[in-house]
Amino acid sequence: MKLGLTLLAAAAAMVTVSTAAYAQQTLQQVRTRGSLNCQVGLPTPGFYALAANGTWSGLDVDMCRAVAAAIFDDPNRVQYQSVTSAVRFTSLANGESDMLSRTTTWTAVRDTQLGLEFAGVNFYDGQGFLVPRASNITSARQLDGATVCVLTGTTTELNLADYFRANNMTFRAVTNENVNVLVETYLGGGCDAYTNDKSGLASRRAAFPNPNDHVILPETISKEPLGPVVRHGDQNWGDIVRWVLYGMIEAEEMGVTQANLAEMQRSTNPGIRRLLGTEGNIGQGMGLPADFMVRVIRHIGNYGEAYERHVGANTPIGIPRANSLNALWTNGGLMYAMPFR
Amino acid sequence: MAPDHTPTPPLVFTPRPSAPPPPSTVGVMGWLRANLFSSVPNTILTFLGAYILYVFLEAIISWALINAVWEAPNRRACLDAVGRSGACWPGVIAWLPNLIYGLYPKDQVWRIDLGALILVLWALPLFLPRVKSKIAIGLTAVLVYPFLVSYLFLGGEKGWIWMVLVAGSLATFFWVWLTAISEMRTGLPFLALLVRTLAGPDPIPERARLVRQLAWAALFVTALVIVSRWQLVEVPTRLWGGLFLTMVISGIGITFSLPAGVMLALGRRSSMPLIRGFCVAFIELFRSVPLITILFMFNTMLPLFLPVGVEVDRLLRAIVAVCLFAAAYMAEIVRGGLQAIPKGQYEAAAAMGLGYWQSTTLIILPQALKIMIPAIVGNFIGLFKDTTLVSIIGLFDMLSMARAVGEDTRWLGLFIEPFFFITMIYFVFCFAMSQYSMNLERRLGGGQRR
Repeated sequence: MKLGLTLLAAAAAMVTVSTAAYAQQTLQQVRTRGSLNCQVGLPTPGFYALAANGTWSGLDVDMCRAVAAAIFDDPNRVQYQSVTSAVRFTSLANGESDMLSRTTTWTAVRDTQLGLEFAGVNFYDGQGFLVPRASNITSARQLDGATVCVLTGTTTELNLADYFRANNMTFRAVTNENVNVLVETYLGGGCDAYTNDKSGLASRRAAFPNPNDHVILPETISKEPLGPVVRHGDQNWGDIVRWVLYGMIEAEEMGVTQANLAEMQRSTNPGIRRLLGTEGNIGQGMGLPADFMVRVIRHIGNYGEAYERHVGANTPIGIPRANSLNALWTNGGLMYAMPFR
Repeated sequence: MAPDHTPTPPLVFTPRPSAPPPPSTVGVMGWLRANLFSSVPNTILTFLGAYILYVFLEAIISWALINAVWEAPNRRACLDAVGRSGACWPGVIAWLPNLIYGLYPKDQVWRIDLGALILVLWALPLFLPRVKSKIAIGLTAVLVYPFLVSYLFLGGEKGWIWMVLVAGSLATFFWVWLTAISEMRTGLPFLALLVRTLAGPDPIPERARLVRQLAWAALFVTALVIVSRWQLVEVPTRLWGGLFLTMVISGIGITFSLPAGVMLALGRRSSMPLIRGFCVAFIELFRSVPLITILFMFNTMLPLFLPVGVEVDRLLRAIVAVCLFAAAYMAEIVRGGLQAIPKGQYEAAAAMGLGYWQSTTLIILPQALKIMIPAIVGNFIGLFKDTTLVSIIGLFDMLSMARAVGEDTRWLGLFIEPFFFITMIYFVFCFAMSQYSMNLERRLGGGQRR
């Protein structure tokens, strides 16, 4: 019945509030609601994993938690919305989600034609192939005529077709929308290779009965810059998500961690002082307090800490960061925050 | 006529006791011979069938029971122990609370159990002997029970309107059981018994009414006192899931679709053009669109038309979509049943001087519903299974939960076992429904009459 009352209230509100300012700031809405509506995908290990006790965790979930921490000083004020890939952008566009943090590839069409704004990149991925070691295939170029298991309805499928066409090779695709079904097909010999983003390949392989019987081929056939997305049109909200992400990367570069935060707040380094808001007031321009990054780091940590916690070499996902695109730019990677000044 | 002629005993025909049937036609042997080994091709088919059944069952049982692992910290341990030859049940066991209750806080799941228990208790008098007010009890179970249980499930702050509704619902529950008990012991409904005890066997009507009102007030106040002491934590619907969510959606859908379907079917056969037009439009619109499209419409398109800041609960939207869809289908089933009633029944009812509603509710519907039972229950079973579609719009029903097991880092890749498990659950529920419908059919004798 409470549901019924809600519906009545909604109907009433539709009549009376229909002229309300549609461009009401997302930040304001989030504050009024008291929680952030953060959209993640169907449970996926490492990025948005659902544990048996019902809690969400992962690299992308930490992005949601970081934004909530910056706004509320409480990373738990997040309502997770787990939505299939097919409706992710609609669920953002219709105002149901405030932001989307779910391994979404930044592409030109998505950025320019779907009313989306990409707020940065929190993971650089690329598509690769997994083959049985016994097949003696060592390069993706040897896959001509192969049967390939591929997830349907994602950029993965398109990249696969592009790669084979560009190299004048043919393939037969076995598609499904459930990763577990594809992996099962692959393990049962239903396809010669399984293709997905390399992060996904690594985590799946780790769960195989005999992980060492399978190899990930060296080729990376696509660029998959994954990052948080917001609605087009509310620049300030986009700024908040973007600078929380940059702040986490900057903190790692400056050596600010969850553990040494208190000490760093007394630092004399002007860069650190600006980042943590002891000097200047960067948060003000976004409607956040000056020390918003202190909140983020206190609750979540810097980017490197989040990475190691969820997908790093010591996790079951086990994606080493050194020498990868996800290393800091100072270590030869692509993680580069715009300067905090 | 010689008297010395001793009379010969009369010739009485004593039939020889019939020989027992040949041993090969009776008992187990006879049955086997007649049904399984009556000819050479049948014998071959029997052995072939038995072999297939054996291979099939042997594989399932050895996978699910004999080779299965029952205790392991993660899937890797299962794989190390038996590889792929046996099921890895610890993952399903670890996720069992989620499969049943979704993400509902685990220290609050007693509320779901209690809600289910109350439903069983509410419906129990319907199956007890000598209980006469079955129609009233059944109606309250459908119309009043939802208030009590939705507060139980949702919790949170209760305003006074809400509190009154919940207390009224609880008072009705007390009434149901008091009536059931008093009818079983004395044959009189509880209130009538009370009137007779307090006001004598033949009281003046005013007095009787006063006693009834006082009794209700007492029940209500008792319930209000109980309800006002409840402090239940709010559990938002986004945490609902698993079998519980499946039951909520299909339960509401089933309860709503039958009366709504009857009304729509009657409306479609109505002679009033406006009502007929509306019913036809509604039925045809919802029947010509797949359920998944309707769910998408309600779930992703509806918020676009709502002003900023107005958020209609996601579960509510899904439930409304399922209800409307199910009602449209039910309407056509009911219309089919109505059309099977011979015209003579309508005319006879009219000749008796019955009006539209009287003839519909007393003559037509009881006959029509009886012959529609198989189709209606078939529709209910379909609806129960269709609720899995809500997994696509991001509600964690049992199917989504089963998928989530295989995405848990500890149980990565484990998906056959949870699917096997929920298949069993679905089977139990659907089979129970279909058995109940057959039982109902036998009892009402709807099958034999035509």
